[in-house]
Amino acid sequence: GVFAHLEMLEAQAHEAAVKQEETEQQEEKLARLKARVQELRLQRDELRAKVDLQQKGQLGKEGVVSDPAQPSARAVLEWKIKSVKAMLQVFYLTGISGKLTKRGVCFCISTAYEGTYLDSYYLDLLTKPEVQIHRHSVPSFIPLEQIAKKYLQTDIRRFLSVLSDHLNAYAGRRYQADQLQEHFSDQIEGTLQRNSLCNLLVFNYNVSSKSKTFLFNVRLLYGDLCCSLPTEVTISCAPDAPTSLAETAAAHSDLFRRVALHKAFRSFGSAEESMD
Amino acid sequence: MDETVAEYIRRTVLKIPRDEIKTMLQKWGFLSETQLQTINFHQIKENISHDVVLLCEENSADIKQAAVLDIIYNHSYPNKRVWSVYQMNKTGEETELFDLTDFKKKFKRRLRSALKNVTINFREYEDNAIWIRIAWGTPYTQPNQYKTSYVVYHSQTPYVFVSASVLKSNLPLLCQALVVASNYHDIREMELRGHSLNSLKDIVFKRYNQNFQTYYPRPLQERNVAPGSADLRIIQENRSEKERIQRVNREVFGDGPQPKLEFAQYKLETMFKSDPKMDVLDKKEPFRCLVKFSSPHLLESLKSLAPAGMADAPLSPLLTCIPQKARNYFKIREKKGVFPGSFVSP
Repeated sequence: GVFAHLEMLEAQAHEAAVKQEETEQQEEKLARLKARVQELRLQRDELRAKVDLQQKGQLGKEGVVSDPAQPSARAVLEWKIKSVKAMLQVFYLTGISGKLTKRGVCFCISTAYEGTYLDSYYLDLLTKPEVQIHRHSVPSFIPLEQIAKKYLQTDIRRFLSVLSDHLNAYAGRRYQADQLQEHFSDQIEGTLQRNSLCNLLVFNYNVSSKSKTFLFNVRLLYGDLCCSLPTEVTISCAPDAPTSLAETAAAHSDLFRRVALHKAFRSFGSAEESMD
Repeated sequence: MDETVAEYIRRTVLKIPRDEIKTMLQKWGFLSETQLQTINFHQIKENISHDVVLLCEENSADIKQAAVLDIIYNHSYPNKRVWSVYQMNKTGEETELFDLTDFKKKFKRRLRSALKNVTINFREYEDNAIWIRIAWGTPYTQPNQYKTSYVVYHSQTPYVFVSASVLKSNLPLLCQALVVASNYHDIREMELRGHSLNSLKDIVFKRYNQNFQTYYPRPLQERNVAPGSADLRIIQENRSEKERIQRVNREVFGDGPQPKLEFAQYKLETMFKSDPKMDVLDKKEPFRCLVKFSSPHLLESLKSLAPAGMADAPLSPLLTCIPQKARNYFKIREKKGVFPGSFVSP
């Protein structure tokens, strides 16, 4: 639910703040150590030169072997950059990340569905004189104004959370519909009727039973815009279809309600294979 | 087959560039593949269109099918028309549940109840765009197929793209039908017009590349790559200024291609500011003047002004706000004290 999500966000924010504090302390420490490293480097070079002369004199060895256990300043800097980049990548992967701007904050909401990363949407907010949206890249069929009117002034975390839910659910629905069209087009008869929000899908698909194919018409209604599974599934078959097919229709209807669309179709394929 | 239908099909085919005729007829799907094989697409267009009309007669084409061919042509070449953008408003909070059949039914019913003599055709495309073609008649005459309006609507969005024709008087009727069919309350014309339909869509749907500040590591583009092959005798005196201009330009315009607009128009109703001694105007009245910028690609040319040294960076916000404000027609009136602001004209 929303509260669980809020708590999770709060915990994340706390973790982030703690991490940031640690990073800052580490940075200070690092700066001091850097200066020390410079001193030691000078000493080391002097000593090394001495050792070199001795070695060249005694064994005729050429070249200097630098001590791998002591990292150079350049290596430290590279490590520092790598870990900061990794930290930023982690923030991006959590789905909501932000950056302070001159006049406010710029948020990036990244969407994903079952492990696949999808589009990112941006919100450029101003914080003075009050919180308002300066620009954004949210599609116009997402009810952004409605959500902003409800939560933007009072509870910005909730605003971001609700918006993220809408965007993620939309991305998930669209992904399922796209996957269906891409991988299972041979089972679909005619066009897949959809709309911008992908919350109403109507199409016909083939169902084979006892080596005969029948046409099912399905209407998937996603009543909850924050959900990527349908709230209402209506499957109808042709009047001449055998009664046993009604059971299959009911089973499919139940499956569509619980499982992602393209995964449902994948299971049809494997079920048919196992029947033959 | 009706004479007028035959003539209409003939003229529509003539509009299509010769190399595209076969593909478009295939998309149309009214003539079978075998029928299409019989046409020689290498002859002159006059003859091709004549052959097409003969085949259409075989299949008894009517005006509805001919209209579909017209939609396909306009969908392939939308930039031949001028498009305006309208915005709809609704106050309710009901979940958007767009049903295409419902939309079409409501639209036709509303339009036909006011004007019987109209031809209405719909065609849906993969990107959720619904194309509506309307041929207007009058209460006493049949629809004139050459006086058509086109409407492009993406479901569950408040924006409608309209290419009206000469008959502006039918616009209120069209707007009403759209509002009713899409379950909105009212509609107003935005100050946004252009030839490139896709660019207008990019602007209102925010599909163009706005430069958002993020932490997400973007692949660094070739900026300040030391040109190893450059002649070392050439020194860039102005390097820091050039870099500043590039940076400011990038912040304002973003990285990607700009939406394509052909003009921006500013109607000034501001006071003429002159040396009081010169006293050009006796009465203190706003000086009316119209400034129009035209270009094959206005926003790209604005983007290149500062790097080319023709204007200072940053450019005036009146020019750079065009995609974000989604308008290219402005009315600038005097703002008390500060430099002229722009007010949305109702």
